[in-house]
Amino acid sequence: MLFYTWPFLIFMLVVLPGYFALRRTRFWILWLLAASYFFYAWWNPYYLLLVVYSTTLDYLLVALMDHCPRQESGEPLIARLLHGPVRNVPLAASQINNAGPPTHLVSPPESSNTQRRDPVLAAAFRISALLTAILAAVAAFGPVTLRPASLALATLVLFMAVGARLGSRGAWLVISIINNLALLLFFKYARFVEENLNQVLHFLHLAYRFPDPSKLMPHGWEYALPVGISFFTFQSMSYTIDFYLGKAPRERNILRFATFVCFFPQLMAGPIERARQMLPQFQKAPPFRLDDVTDGMSLFLVGLFKKLALANYLGIYVDRVYNNNPDGFDATTLVLATMAFAWQIFFDFSGYTDMARGLARMLGFNLILNFNNPYLASGLGDFWSRWHISLSTWFRDYLYIPLGGNRRGAFATYRNLFLTFLISGIWHGAAWTFAIWGLLHAAGVMLTRGLERSAFYRERVPLALKRAWVFLYVCFAWIFFRANSLSDAGTIVSRIFTAGWRSPQIPALMLALVCGIWIYQLTYESRFRPILRYAPLRVAMAAGMMLYIGLCSTSGQAFIYFQF
Amino acid sequence: MESPTLEITAPAATPAAPKTTVPFGVNEIRLNAREWIVTLAIVLTCAIAIPRVWKAIEPFHPGSDYRIPYALSKDYWLYQRRIDQINDPDRIPILGDSVIWGEYVRPDGTLSHFLNRQADRSDRFVNCGVNGVFPLAMQGLVDDYARSLKGRKVIVHCNILWLTSPERDLSTDKEASFNHSRLVPQFFPRIPCYRADANERISAVLDRHVNFYAWVNHFRDAYYQEQSIPRWTLDDDGNDPPTFPNAWKNPLAPLKAGIPQEPPVDPDRGPTSPRHKPWTADGAEPSYFDWVDLNASMQWRAFRQVLTRLRDRGDDVLVVIGPFNEHHVAEAQRPTSLALRDGIAAWLAQNKVPVVVPETLPSDLYADASHPLTAGYALLAERIWNDPVFQKWLAVAEVKP
Repeated sequence: MLFYTWPFLIFMLVVLPGYFALRRTRFWILWLLAASYFFYAWWNPYYLLLVVYSTTLDYLLVALMDHCPRQESGEPLIARLLHGPVRNVPLAASQINNAGPPTHLVSPPESSNTQRRDPVLAAAFRISALLTAILAAVAAFGPVTLRPASLALATLVLFMAVGARLGSRGAWLVISIINNLALLLFFKYARFVEENLNQVLHFLHLAYRFPDPSKLMPHGWEYALPVGISFFTFQSMSYTIDFYLGKAPRERNILRFATFVCFFPQLMAGPIERARQMLPQFQKAPPFRLDDVTDGMSLFLVGLFKKLALANYLGIYVDRVYNNNPDGFDATTLVLATMAFAWQIFFDFSGYTDMARGLARMLGFNLILNFNNPYLASGLGDFWSRWHISLSTWFRDYLYIPLGGNRRGAFATYRNLFLTFLISGIWHGAAWTFAIWGLLHAAGVMLTRGLERSAFYRERVPLALKRAWVFLYVCFAWIFFRANSLSDAGTIVSRIFTAGWRSPQIPALMLALVCGIWIYQLTYESRFRPILRYAPLRVAMAAGMMLYIGLCSTSGQAFIYFQF
Repeated sequence: MESPTLEITAPAATPAAPKTTVPFGVNEIRLNAREWIVTLAIVLTCAIAIPRVWKAIEPFHPGSDYRIPYALSKDYWLYQRRIDQINDPDRIPILGDSVIWGEYVRPDGTLSHFLNRQADRSDRFVNCGVNGVFPLAMQGLVDDYARSLKGRKVIVHCNILWLTSPERDLSTDKEASFNHSRLVPQFFPRIPCYRADANERISAVLDRHVNFYAWVNHFRDAYYQEQSIPRWTLDDDGNDPPTFPNAWKNPLAPLKAGIPQEPPVDPDRGPTSPRHKPWTADGAEPSYFDWVDLNASMQWRAFRQVLTRLRDRGDDVLVVIGPFNEHHVAEAQRPTSLALRDGIAAWLAQNKVPVVVPETLPSDLYADASHPLTAGYALLAERIWNDPVFQKWLAVAEVKP
């Protein structure tokens, strides 16, 4: 159910009135959750199980984490495994200064074993141990089709049993991260890994081959990438990490937490929201404000125009070049198709985000800004603060900074940048082209980091030149992102520099549309911005966009980022 | 009891609910309620006005023997316009599929042309056939694009070709793609072989009920080869690598050409066309058909509904059955075919619908199982014209709206 389809309109015509009608009751959150699950199940009902599983597990893990002391007791690991965790004593109400996260105390080490055991953790241990035994039995003796999944689950609950015995917050965090990454690895990267490993085995003349991951699916279920898996796992993971770090409160209501994980406007392709930003918004139904509805409609309209009028149109041109043999094209066509792709992916993804933000705003929720005119960036660092902001900041907060950020010297900084961009590239898809794309951005940022901070660059280099170089470099990297294979990417790069330049084949209408948008963005970031606020102009643009969509919208593929 | 030594382990600062400082976006297209009302009013006005203005300014002068060009078979807005133009109550539209439209013949070789000749007039009988339309689609066509057929005489052709197999009847469970899918009932009754997704179905329903969408389809079909303007600019020449001949053309230039007409020389139709030959010319033999049961047929049910709808509008309907090419039916199956035809005729008679069942034409006047050749149409028109039922029906002047 794509945002720009009729079934989605009908869906919203049911969800919105129902939501506003239930706003004053305690059922509003249940309504939102049901709507979100319905929305996801529309794609593939089976994969709803995955969302529910991921949600439930992270909810439980945080609940269990909440029963562990914030500071390690200092007891040896073996002792904790043998005797169980230290009991976590909640603070008296009078000692809690506000409604923040539950505050816990570490009981004194001289308490007896009976006092030391936390009953919740003890129960978690017993249940996990029992489940481990059951799942291990199924994995060993159960139906063949269930064995791989049972083995994976048995391993997970075994970790949980160990975690419960250790009573360590860190253990629960690790389990959450392993679980989320395992889901991603299996559904998104398993085939890529399997193919590459088998190639290595073939190269080494070894007979063994890793099985195709589809063979591991129970009951022969289709092995396909669940839409939005990269987004909802990252969102859910951010909650467990933030709670571990004490940056987010524990959400005790599972309905609220589940709604946070699968809130339908941003479930498929973000923005990846943080628990501390979204969960408080789900505490009570936002008041109905007409401005929210009209703002939401405005955002949605702009997103719709970006997708239907621009991204799909550019996509046809890009596909005709990139999906054919690149050897046949001259340099002009390849350069223009690459630039067209740069705009296509921007319109496609930012269009989706605008629609998602608009829908959330209509319901009274605020999603973060995900794109901020990235092609007007004056440096690569600036570009990454404007492009897919929710992902960039996610990697910054949960990867780059934990690795040490820029606080441990130049070498560590560059290493951290390199790793962050590489992983960010791989996050986008299971192909070497994405890894190269990430590496190109890593190299670009590493090489220009010093330059961009210099007074010369900041003050002497003309802004237009800076923007042009960033745009061209980003376009260069997009070649690898879009190409169907590394070999195609190599051919395209090679032909851009060696093949002849001929008359452009890109439609004048396409150029006019893109130039129009670019000029709008430039005006928006200039001192002439007040012109854009002129009411008749805004109304004319909105009406023009609606009529253009009605007359000239172009059908095309689903959102590009759904595949990630 | 002495309280234990306590150590507060919660973070000093508790995260509070974020204030709504999230920026709106990076554009200024932020309308308030009043501006939205103005915008929607403008859009609504345009959506209502554009098709009407277009109808007023777009030249469309169908002469005698006009039929909707093959390339515009799915331009239902144009079809509606054509129907609306038949305002003289003395003119009689003939509704049907490609048998009425004239698959193998030129416009001056169709049934309507020869009926006009019999009537010694040039424009009494109007070719309102649509190539490829079958009863389930005709139901949509009549319901939504032929609303102006009220209180007048109408001839409807019944082609039993659509009953020759479950696939043609669209009653098979196997997924099938077929012409005019946007005209068939999208939700009820369920057509088992039609597997369009919900979006396509709703979109088809809207096309039929929102004039603006129908006009947009006309705009695309008539001037841009069934594409949007942007897609038209990317028409390629089919070469590898492709080039885009329309890339730098004025996107509005095709509008100058007007509504496409039938080509003056159609290589696929007319006596000089290689297709215009008897069905046996290439050695074809009589066939066995997987006839459907009349009572279970989706197409027959739809056909009955077409008649009901027309009669509800006060139309005086006459049905012409066939003539199906019985020579094409294997000898053993001919009784089945004739029984089916008679069953249809009996139902029509029972429901007081005048019906003409012309005799099967000579074998060499058919191009295939149901389409006559030019001489076949001439003979058919003569037989229909001379049928007493037809003459009696024509003689009844008054039609009660």
